[in-house]
Amino acid sequence: MRTGFPTRALAALLLVLLPAPLVIVIGSSFSPRAVLGFPPPGFSWRWYVEFLGTPSWLVAFGISAALALVSAVLTTLASIGAALALRRAPARLRGIAETAILAPLLFPHAALAIGFLGWLGMAGLGGSFAGMLIAHLVLCAPFAYRPVAVSLAQIDSSLPEAATILGAEPGQAFRRVVLPLLRPGIAASLLFGFIISFDEVTVSMFLVGPEFTTLPVAIYARLNDSADPVVAAISSILILLTAGLVLLMDRLVGLRIFVDIEEDGRHPSA
Amino acid sequence: MTGPGRRLALFAPMGLLIAAFVLSVAGLLWSSATRGGIGLYVELLSDPGILRVLWRTVWIAVATTAACALLGYPLALFLARSPRRNLWLLLVISPWLVSIVVRTFGWVVLLGNRGVVNTALRDWGLIDAPVRVLFTPWAVLIGLVHVFLPFMVIAILSSLLLQDRRLEEAGRILGGTRWQTFRRVTLPLSLPGVVGGSSLVLLMSAGAIVTPLLLGGLRDRMLGTQIYTEVFQVFNFERATAMAVILLVVALVLVAPLRLLEARVRRRLEGA
Repeated sequence: MRTGFPTRALAALLLVLLPAPLVIVIGSSFSPRAVLGFPPPGFSWRWYVEFLGTPSWLVAFGISAALALVSAVLTTLASIGAALALRRAPARLRGIAETAILAPLLFPHAALAIGFLGWLGMAGLGGSFAGMLIAHLVLCAPFAYRPVAVSLAQIDSSLPEAATILGAEPGQAFRRVVLPLLRPGIAASLLFGFIISFDEVTVSMFLVGPEFTTLPVAIYARLNDSADPVVAAISSILILLTAGLVLLMDRLVGLRIFVDIEEDGRHPSA
Repeated sequence: MTGPGRRLALFAPMGLLIAAFVLSVAGLLWSSATRGGIGLYVELLSDPGILRVLWRTVWIAVATTAACALLGYPLALFLARSPRRNLWLLLVISPWLVSIVVRTFGWVVLLGNRGVVNTALRDWGLIDAPVRVLFTPWAVLIGLVHVFLPFMVIAILSSLLLQDRRLEEAGRILGGTRWQTFRRVTLPLSLPGVVGGSSLVLLMSAGAIVTPLLLGGLRDRMLGTQIYTEVFQVFNFERATAMAVILLVVALVLVAPLRLLEARVRRRLEGA
């Protein structure tokens, strides 16, 4: 059954508006003038050159990339462990544990930020990489857990059993059978962890220090004083980077896992 | 292969992360109770300025959620029926490729007094003076709807895709008009998606900081921006803590009815 004309017209309008800021950001990054505007009055690589020639931008970029990489790897490992531990746990226990893992999604980030600011400061971790990392791990964990858990639930449990019957050690059955089948979930976990951490700003803006900042917070600080197109240039580079990651994931394991995660969310009992 | 001890060891790293989360919520409540106490809440909640912030937070969050549902539903329906769904879905989630800071800033460029929209309207002779949208609650509303619409679309889309298409066909064959079939079959079956998406958007928009800071300015504050101001401009950590607790309560109170509704809708659909 096709949708009616009003629905299609509204959908078309929204499909133009949703990506509009991307177009504006990329377009205005090539502006030769010092004011952010669209359409750009000419074409130049000036702001890309400025980004690559400014150590403070590059340091913030490096910190954010390191933070995102470590967050992604650690939350994915923790998620694999948790998913394996909960797979055969009693349903009630598993329900409680999963609620606890997903809980950070149900709390407004502005409130969580003040909570982190309090105890991280008392522990001497205020304004440090370690403190920021702890907050990012907590915020990424719910996003990293679901893909791995969904992927694990899809594995037919008779497969590792068959491997064991055929003479595989338990460790071997896990490495050679379960782990390869978990690949799409692990890849989605890593991707989610990386993107969530790399873009995180609401909590991070409370946890940066005088000599330590992340890229999104640095971008926010810059946009607050002046709107020069260097921010648009950085963002365009980030758009390319993220799009590259998503494409890479599509090539390696496919994007089907994203639909599975949503369907799993609708049917928590399944 | 997995005894209880081994299971515990596997769960331990995630357990640490849960502990870090619990610590920050418990620490927030504890420091609010010991350092500000009830007196501070009485003071804050009798301050007309703070009450206006509270009210603005609630109406902007509710309006954002309603707008996302009203715009997101037709879009999700279109996607569910379109043969090129994956392409359109890519456009819907494309805003996620840019940091929320930059996405919001795109709207500053669009909505400013000398921004794209005002310039175009003036060039076409439709207005004489620029329409002031930026740094008003309307700009915040537009920005939040744009930021959160993809979440709503995906939530609704997934519940539309789960529906058995034969139910709709049966509705039509039994003589229902298109509108009747939609109202009596498609819409009720997709309500879990609408309610689930709504509670997510309500929660996120109540606690937003970056979008209201950049688009609303510091005059028309929301709770999130008020917390930011208390920490970075007033340096009053006690007040910030109390405001954070108020935000927590507001978010839970706003979302609780939706959670109840969601459970109820699910039960009814499963019973049917």
